[in-house]
Amino acid sequence: MKLLSNLLGPRQAFDGGLFLRDYKAITARRPIEWLHADGPLHIPLSVRADFPVTPVVDVGDRVIRGQRLTIPDTQAGLPVHSPISGHIARFESVWSPFDGAVPGIVIDPDGRRDAVPPVQSWADESVIGQLVEHGVVCPMSRQPLHTIIREAVRRGVSELIVNAMETEPYLTADLRTLVEDAGRVVDTTSELADALSAVRAIIAAPFRHRHVMKRLLSDAAGRMVEVAVLPDPFPQCHPHLLIKSILNREVEPGGSPLDLGVVVLPLSTVRQAAEALLDDRAVTHVLLTVAGDAVDRPGTYRVPIGMPIRRIAESIGLTGPVRQAVIGGPLTGIPMRDENAVVTIDMTAVLLFTTTEQVNPVDCIRCGWCIEDCPIGLSPPDLVRLESRATVNSIEMSHLRACIDCGLCTHVCPSQLPLSQTIKSLRDRFDGGEADRETGRR
Amino acid sequence: MSQPNWIAGPQSLLGAPPYRLAGNTHNHILRAWLGAASIIAACGVVIFGLRVLEVLAGAVGGALLTNAVVALVTGKKITDQALRATLTGVLLALTLPALTSWPIALFGAVVSILIGQCLFQGWLQPALVGRIVTQAAFPGFLSVGGSMLLSPVLTPGHMIFGDIEDTERIVDYRGWLESQESTTHDAYLIQKPVRTLRQFAQNQVKPNADLRYTPLLRDLLPPWSDTVFGVVPGGIGETCTVMLVIVGLYLIHRGYLRWQLPLTVIASAALTVSILPVEVANDYRWFPALEVEQGRAVGLAYVLFHLTTGQIMLTAFLLAGDVVASPMRAHGQIIYAAFIGALSIFMRLYGVLEGECYWSVLIMNLFVGTINRQLRRPVLGMEPPSDD
Repeated sequence: MKLLSNLLGPRQAFDGGLFLRDYKAITARRPIEWLHADGPLHIPLSVRADFPVTPVVDVGDRVIRGQRLTIPDTQAGLPVHSPISGHIARFESVWSPFDGAVPGIVIDPDGRRDAVPPVQSWADESVIGQLVEHGVVCPMSRQPLHTIIREAVRRGVSELIVNAMETEPYLTADLRTLVEDAGRVVDTTSELADALSAVRAIIAAPFRHRHVMKRLLSDAAGRMVEVAVLPDPFPQCHPHLLIKSILNREVEPGGSPLDLGVVVLPLSTVRQAAEALLDDRAVTHVLLTVAGDAVDRPGTYRVPIGMPIRRIAESIGLTGPVRQAVIGGPLTGIPMRDENAVVTIDMTAVLLFTTTEQVNPVDCIRCGWCIEDCPIGLSPPDLVRLESRATVNSIEMSHLRACIDCGLCTHVCPSQLPLSQTIKSLRDRFDGGEADRETGRR
Repeated sequence: MSQPNWIAGPQSLLGAPPYRLAGNTHNHILRAWLGAASIIAACGVVIFGLRVLEVLAGAVGGALLTNAVVALVTGKKITDQALRATLTGVLLALTLPALTSWPIALFGAVVSILIGQCLFQGWLQPALVGRIVTQAAFPGFLSVGGSMLLSPVLTPGHMIFGDIEDTERIVDYRGWLESQESTTHDAYLIQKPVRTLRQFAQNQVKPNADLRYTPLLRDLLPPWSDTVFGVVPGGIGETCTVMLVIVGLYLIHRGYLRWQLPLTVIASAALTVSILPVEVANDYRWFPALEVEQGRAVGLAYVLFHLTTGQIMLTAFLLAGDVVASPMRAHGQIIYAAFIGALSIFMRLYGVLEGECYWSVLIMNLFVGTINRQLRRPVLGMEPPSDD
């Protein structure tokens, strides 16, 4: 029976999804490496373009690692800290892949390792205070963690799910964290569950990499934290599907997990929170998977915020010129958009490829692969057909809203049609008109 | 260390997710199917001789020619559908007997492309449309020497290069290898096993005292191994069961054929033939699979003969699973395949039509739209979650 469950894995809890070839063989075995700043860092002044901040340093000042560079002007904002010790060279605009050109600060490293000592006063500070102090952000949704917790506490939460699934190809940052830092993940998860006053705290981990889970399981033994080892078809890592798989509840189209009293946090947030809560250190470095066939030495690297991606590529080594640069996973990431983009706090991966996909779309042949693989149960060809329509009815609108933009339909389409891109643009097009007629929600 | 152009150009920084595709294009699918069909056609050449190439040339040539004419008339590029047309031509040739003359094959290909591929695009399996229309238009092309019952196969030692038309009627056929010495001709002329099975089900085979299955299996049908290796009369691609299974597994491995479909066709056919009665002296005996005579499980042998003769295997692995004309979802394909298997056996046992599997595929093609509509998936969060 054990052999059988080892071979077959746990039962898949949602229809659709696809077991992708994951290209993690090399990177999953490489330990996390530090990538030190060997040149000026270009740090955005604010973690998000819409958070106003005030700089507290001036040109020529010497700063040390962990020292504040800016303080937020609003309650939702976050401070930004210096990742290295060095001198402020100048203020100039830097390119963030998410926000475009934003005001930034350039620090020249002075080669020393001075850092702000941990305050060790954590007994008398609240978790939320610590999170604000050290600038913890939730990647992808790009929301500061303390605002997520405040909102969640206000609406009431029963479950906290930590998402360590990482089912997209190439990405290994979460996997390496589980291998090297499983105990800290468990500790931080229970701290966050306390702060949320959640009834259950669950860490979702992929069955494909179950051999590294043994340590996680032994660390979690006897704790309040449960470990759910799930089958890992893409996109099991999406919050809605995690809730479906673990709790068998369904988020309604366009809704959020909070509607069901569930908070889903990516492991990268927990990783940042661990630094803030356990080490009392500001978040100044991010864990980046640098992979793709253009990268000579792919792996997981701890990179200071503000390091130009070009410098990362040069210090790791390239096998050839990069023809496609992606921030995030190969199915859901965003394009790099500018050659001089820098590492920001909400990045988890940089993928550099020597090829772009050459697509040559032909007519739909009605093979049904997209329908079979859609994790939500949508029919992408039917939705794409709405393109010629001026209005949509409420059912079609909720279908458009239910799409989670996983990109799987485009990925598998043998006719190479841009299905997910079209669905996304249709949702943007119709969402405006629909919002007025509905009850003003969203 | 520093590379002056690490980004190849401004377009490297653009794009929309997903950035990586699975890489199975329509052309890959067609090429894999064409390769699979060509292997079966090659088996046909080995079993039925070089005469098969004439049929293949007629069918493929007709298909490509019609495709070119259609492309010219509609103003599309000829190469768009050329691969698809070639596949249709080869599949059509696989369903035809080796003795078909090339103009008939060409006619079938023209009908396939015009009606199956252009008029009912994506609704009917085009090769089968051509096959059925050809059968209706030239009822004589299936017969040899005026008899619909007999059909040739090359003898051992005369494979590939033997003349399929130089035949000798073998009355007391003991199997492909056993009858070797008794003939000086290139080909045996014997009854198609599937016809024998139909006669048996319709009570046209005389029982030997109280033994009914034993005479059929021992005297009238070739050995079962012959039907597996394909050295029995039939269509060019219908007989070689073992190769059909191999190319089917290849298509399944590539992901271009869902394993549920051929498995369900075969399982459903086996189940149907195990249950449906055979006529014995104005009486119907149900569950023939359970028959035992003299301690031998003759019923099971009867079922196995039904599976490996005729067109079941060709239908299951190459014709029914066509990406375009089969239902979209695996659930739908199971229903579709179950009906194909059951209908084929039903028509074989009690029908009069030649090509029963082809008819059942075309009939089920008509219901593909309905099956697709009935098997819509529930959208996450829009229906109440199920209890399990």
